[in-house]
Amino acid sequence: MYGFEALTFNIHGGYLEAIVRGHRASLLTASDYNNLCQCETLDDIKMHLSATEYGPYLQNEPSPLHTTTIVEKCTLKLVDEYKSMLCQATEPLSTFLEYITYGHMIDNVVLIVTGTLHERDVQELLEKCHPLGMFDSIATLAVAQNMRELYRLVLVDTPLAPYFSECITSEDLDDMNIEIMRNTLYKAYLEDFYRFCQKLGGATAEIMSDLLAFEADRRAVNITINSIGTELTRDDRRKLYSNFGLLYPYGHEELAICEDVDQVRAAMEKYPPYQSIFSKLSYGESQMLDKAFYEEEVKRLCLAFEQQFHYGVFFAYMRLREQEIRNLMWISECVAQNQKSRVHDSVVFIF
Amino acid sequence: MAEGAGGAAANGGSDEKVLDFLDSVDSYLTTMESLAPILRQGWFDLASARHSMGVFRVSSASLDLKDHSASTYLQMVGHESDDSFVGQPSFSLCKWASADNKSCCSEEEIPDSQLRHRGTSRLSENQEQNSNGDDSLKTVDDLVKKERAKTLSVFGTLVSPKLRTAQLSFETALEVLVEAANIRSSMLSAYSQVQKQMEDTREGEIGPIP
Repeated sequence: MYGFEALTFNIHGGYLEAIVRGHRASLLTASDYNNLCQCETLDDIKMHLSATEYGPYLQNEPSPLHTTTIVEKCTLKLVDEYKSMLCQATEPLSTFLEYITYGHMIDNVVLIVTGTLHERDVQELLEKCHPLGMFDSIATLAVAQNMRELYRLVLVDTPLAPYFSECITSEDLDDMNIEIMRNTLYKAYLEDFYRFCQKLGGATAEIMSDLLAFEADRRAVNITINSIGTELTRDDRRKLYSNFGLLYPYGHEELAICEDVDQVRAAMEKYPPYQSIFSKLSYGESQMLDKAFYEEEVKRLCLAFEQQFHYGVFFAYMRLREQEIRNLMWISECVAQNQKSRVHDSVVFIF
Repeated sequence: MAEGAGGAAANGGSDEKVLDFLDSVDSYLTTMESLAPILRQGWFDLASARHSMGVFRVSSASLDLKDHSASTYLQMVGHESDDSFVGQPSFSLCKWASADNKSCCSEEEIPDSQLRHRGTSRLSENQEQNSNGDDSLKTVDDLVKKERAKTLSVFGTLVSPKLRTAQLSFETALEVLVEAANIRSSMLSAYSQVQKQMEDTREGEIGPIP
């Protein structure tokens, strides 16, 4: 029953909630970002990060550094923290934590399948996979020729198996089919995660519903904008939108028929939470849309920490760390390309 | 008097060649200066695309290693004699040549129906020619868009507009590079003409060697 989590939550989840709140306190601050934005070289960035919790992960990296190295090592830190929480979690928190990684699993599956289609070496592809999305039989994905084989040979024993029912065909895998597979899987995953959180009930259901609904809406907007001018039909586009969220169902009907960014804006401005996002953009422009959505997401994720005794803090922490890694990647790229004046185009501060 | 006039004409001719050379040097330096910001913008757009789509999605691991024909060709035209090129080589870019359609889908190609024909013509004939021209341009435009999307499809078919912008930036940079190569070729040709002129003048002053 909602409101009584305070009586029982700490029995199984109290320790890990304290751990994740401690991790949250170690996120980079505004002054850290100010120092990083003033760095002249990637070695300067490494020097500034050595004073943070990323220090041990970067200290042994030789110069010259590359931006991908910084991202890889910072991601390793996130993976270590996640694994230490997962191994100490009990049900249902352990299942909740696993759900957080299924998105990365889907991306890895698509990377391996696409890379195999392009005759890339499997070992090379495995090195490029996101570590949070790895599973035991991932290397076997390279032998599949179509989705039915993909499912039968590999994915039937993975957590992604239930999501395949909507996209199993015998058609050979090609670029368009793979893209539709990626988005269909992600849609099924989000809906499943949403149902799981609803079943948990209480503050977890309330907070996660808001966060997942925002994620579903943002995905709908990105799919719409990215598919403008492509061969994806309106019906196929509509099928990729999730069946929940603020935009479901009427917003989706409008987005499905949009042919340019201004029509997307017109559809989104009818919803007050998204009106503020699109008001930051000028007409016809979509460059700053990503940053506007990330800022809104960070605001909602930080609000999750205002309440206790729910699992939303774990999801929020993982997403905030991923945002931090994105910020570090962006700052590193701007420093490496000598474009420091553009660094604030995409950095989202987390407080 | 005649010698003076001839000498003035020769000087005028030599000045013209020097001016041609200096003009071509100026064009070359201007073109090369314009290349750097275009490349910078392209790399920045690529970084933006990686930030938007994720570093794991936009990486070298996605590039296609299967045998496939190039989508863009560089054609060099120059008079070849034995082992060396005689005359000024020129370069042209054949962009977005698809595997199905071996000819270029470059936007620079202007269909014949768009050329103006002098003389009397009925308005409807003009309109039909214009609409045929528009249709041809639209077909070329569609083909170019299709080829561009096909090249980017290694990263997925639903890619961020930032990746498309990066592609356009690098495409523009390639055009500028080819333009620079052509200007350099004409610059070297102008230089060799100036040098030849100077040698002829020197021989004329010294006189024939006995």
